[in-house]
Amino acid sequence: MRAEFTSTLRQFRGQIISWGLALFLLSLMLVPFYESITGNQSQLLGYLESFPEEFTAFFGDFTSMGTPQGYLDIEYFSYMPLLIGIFAVLAGSGLIAADEEAGRLDLIAAQPLSRTRFFVSRVLAFISASIVIVFFGWLGMVLLLGKSGMDLTPAQLVLPFIPVLAYIFIFAALALVLSMLMPSRKLAASVSGLLLVADFFIQGFSNLITDLEPIARFMPSHYFQGGYAMDGLDLGPVLALSGLALALALLALWRYRVRDLRVGGEGGWGMSWLKRCQPATDSIS
Amino acid sequence: MNPQPAIMLRDLVKSYGEVKALRGVDLAVEEGEIFGFLGPNGAGKTTTIRCMLDLIRPDSGQIQILGLDPQQNPVAVHARTGYLPGELNLDGNLTGRAILHYFHELRGMGSNTARALELAERLDVDLNLPIKNLSHGNKQKLGLIQALMDEPRLLLLDEPTSGLDPLIQRELLQILAEARESGATIFFSSHIISVVEHIANRVGILREGKIIEVAETSDLLKRAVRRALIRFRHPVDVSLFKELPGVSILSEDGGLSVLLQVTGDMEGLIKQLAQQPVIEIETERPSLEEIFMTYYDAKESEA
Repeated sequence: MRAEFTSTLRQFRGQIISWGLALFLLSLMLVPFYESITGNQSQLLGYLESFPEEFTAFFGDFTSMGTPQGYLDIEYFSYMPLLIGIFAVLAGSGLIAADEEAGRLDLIAAQPLSRTRFFVSRVLAFISASIVIVFFGWLGMVLLLGKSGMDLTPAQLVLPFIPVLAYIFIFAALALVLSMLMPSRKLAASVSGLLLVADFFIQGFSNLITDLEPIARFMPSHYFQGGYAMDGLDLGPVLALSGLALALALLALWRYRVRDLRVGGEGGWGMSWLKRCQPATDSIS
Repeated sequence: MNPQPAIMLRDLVKSYGEVKALRGVDLAVEEGEIFGFLGPNGAGKTTTIRCMLDLIRPDSGQIQILGLDPQQNPVAVHARTGYLPGELNLDGNLTGRAILHYFHELRGMGSNTARALELAERLDVDLNLPIKNLSHGNKQKLGLIQALMDEPRLLLLDEPTSGLDPLIQRELLQILAEARESGATIFFSSHIISVVEHIANRVGILREGKIIEVAETSDLLKRAVRRALIRFRHPVDVSLFKELPGVSILSEDGGLSVLLQVTGDMEGLIKQLAQQPVIEIETERPSLEEIFMTYYDAKESEA
């Protein structure tokens, strides 16, 4: 199990570096601007008022820009679900399906490691990679915190990253389960990505259109606390999102345990009428 | 005979949607045997092997591998089996050494890779190069090393000689013969008939998802059709040969030479030739390919 965990973590190396570095630089860049922005808050608010409501609705309450929590929420955490969701969708959909479509899973699955242990090893490696990426985001904020004028502690800054992790887990688990149910990783990633974007927009527009509120309640970002978690983390939504992610992961595990593994390539829906229109993808030689 | 076959398949059926890949495969392979599995593309060879490893589940039928049901005990079956897939794909970013180390670790074999290094030397593969820079043949060697390195009791090899040059093929056959001497059972599929001829004790021929023949390799060769070209010092009455059982005339040259097709043993023909002014005999040894095609043609005409 350790071998598979280590190997999967090594495969995440590129994503850890690129996503970790991106979050680190973004965080590092934001913190020093806090004082200059709050110093000109009235001017900035006047400027922001010139933006259409449909635009500002996505970024929270601009009047709170003067507080560190509000500043970081608007400038960083408000769009973080969409940004980090891309990583989650790509990583989740490819966690097992990428090797299967590349024809590598056949030999790995023939080794003396049960499908459950293999699956759990990979999920644990993904969780570890996500934590490291998020850690880099936090590190970028903490490094210049002392010179920023923000009255925050490094421990306080950990809090808003916890819902970020829960958000990663929910979309990764969704993409993972879809990759186990759908014929291709590409399709699973597309559907999950579509839901990710829908989640962001529905939540944003629900701030303007009250009719959307009932739908927004079913969206993960409705429960995303953002920068305000620094005032006190609401563990309920975090646990609910993580629990849902766990349930989706268990569904993916069940599906992985019972299904046939492909030799390589993309699969089919198993519908005879559709098969007549498509070339066969599974080897029967 | 060992009471427990290494491989036992009973009425194995597997479909992919409407396509029936296996239509009731029955097979028993004894421990310590080298068994060649023949059949054209799409006959169901890979499907059969993948069912044995629980990579895919049959619709019905029974499988026992070394006395274990792979669906009930996949880990135990995998721990005793070395597998080479027909379409081998490895992580191209790793070196040969790293991928072998990874598989060695997955098998829980610790850090002793001496056997892997020995095999790498015998098969002449550089383990320090990234896999993406290796030729098809060299990747195949890595696949073979990972299957063989932990000396499993059973080897399931799907097209093991694919991409290997003749010298390496010979070395591989030697390695497989040694594995058998150590007690391993080897089950392999192949298109290269000469490989099967050289090493397999028995051969199973698969056609459209059904085993149509299982026989000793030597028996199959005996049963095969051979050709014999005979030249005479002076013209003879070649119609004499027509009367011999299992002999037919393919062509003749005014009684000075005759090309015969002989089925079964050549005893009758040799006796007849002893009475003739023969100056030269050329016989073509039948290949399993010809036997294979004979079976296909015969079964097709039956159908």
